[in-house]
Amino acid sequence: MTTAGSATGGCQCGAVRYEVGAFGRASICHCRMCQKAFGNAFAPLVTAKSITFTRGTPKHFQSSSKARRGFCGSCGTPLTYEFEGFGTEIAICTLDDPSIAAPVLQVGLESRIPWCEGLDALPTRAPEEAAKAETLFKELVSNQHPDHDTENWPVQENDHGN
Amino acid sequence: MTGQNSHSGGCQCGAMRFRVDGELGTASICHCRMCQKAFGAFYAPLVGLEKGSELTWTRGKPAYFQSSNHVRRGFCRDCGTPLTYEAPDGLGLAIGAFDHPEEIVPTVQYGLEGKLPYADRLPGLRGTRTEEDEIALPFLATLVSHQHPDEDTDTWPPEEQR
Repeated sequence: MTTAGSATGGCQCGAVRYEVGAFGRASICHCRMCQKAFGNAFAPLVTAKSITFTRGTPKHFQSSSKARRGFCGSCGTPLTYEFEGFGTEIAICTLDDPSIAAPVLQVGLESRIPWCEGLDALPTRAPEEAAKAETLFKELVSNQHPDHDTENWPVQENDHGN
Repeated sequence: MTGQNSHSGGCQCGAMRFRVDGELGTASICHCRMCQKAFGAFYAPLVGLEKGSELTWTRGKPAYFQSSNHVRRGFCRDCGTPLTYEAPDGLGLAIGAFDHPEEIVPTVQYGLEGKLPYADRLPGLRGTRTEEDEIALPFLATLVSHQHPDEDTDTWPPEEQR
């Protein structure tokens, strides 16, 4: 649930859930350490001025003498970047509504991967491939935590009253 | 080591290292909400393997989260780096986890229904290089990275970091 001025989020499997009280700046970081931690072209991060873990807590990797990175020990989702003296930044797409944290700045440009520009122009699936994918998705049962807080998680499979 | 027909990579902490012998397949980005959550990022950049190519885990083995009935996702249990997307129709490796992610250029995008409204605007954001960041510089001057280097190592972590 999201109340005014706060927002919730968590990892993919739902073992770790958090609530952020107030946000600072949102940015993307191209440095090689952020690339590696996120397995991605860059890390999207937003400063959390206050954060409460409402279910579980992240596991941490001390990625350098100055910073540690939080992730879910059960599903691996990258969750936080915590630089000594600078507080906690959270991985934007772990928010239940990542559209509220549009980045305003990019840092670490010396490591920017050239292909991360121009991605919007890439083609998508051809119609016949899309139809094939659609069939597969119809049978898909997601184990991902929904984009809102839950009383109980995971939902019991045998939850139909017998 | 990455030769003409061999591509290596691994997680941030170095507990998992892999090598692909043979050609890499299609490189893509996926904007779907499940890939966003698993990577904590705007999209998942993944590359497949050409038929006949072989993936070898040369150090450690990933932990897995079964994100749906069809798909499991591999990650490093020690540092969280997202590493694989494994579906019945094939496997994708996280491009950012490769030692040379700049060489693996996405040519197609999927999951456009999940694409964030600001995703296309990122290349145009104002930006800085790390050496221009006056607040970070004093910290970075004495920073000791614990990230695995972008090449294979005989032993890891180094003696002084154990």
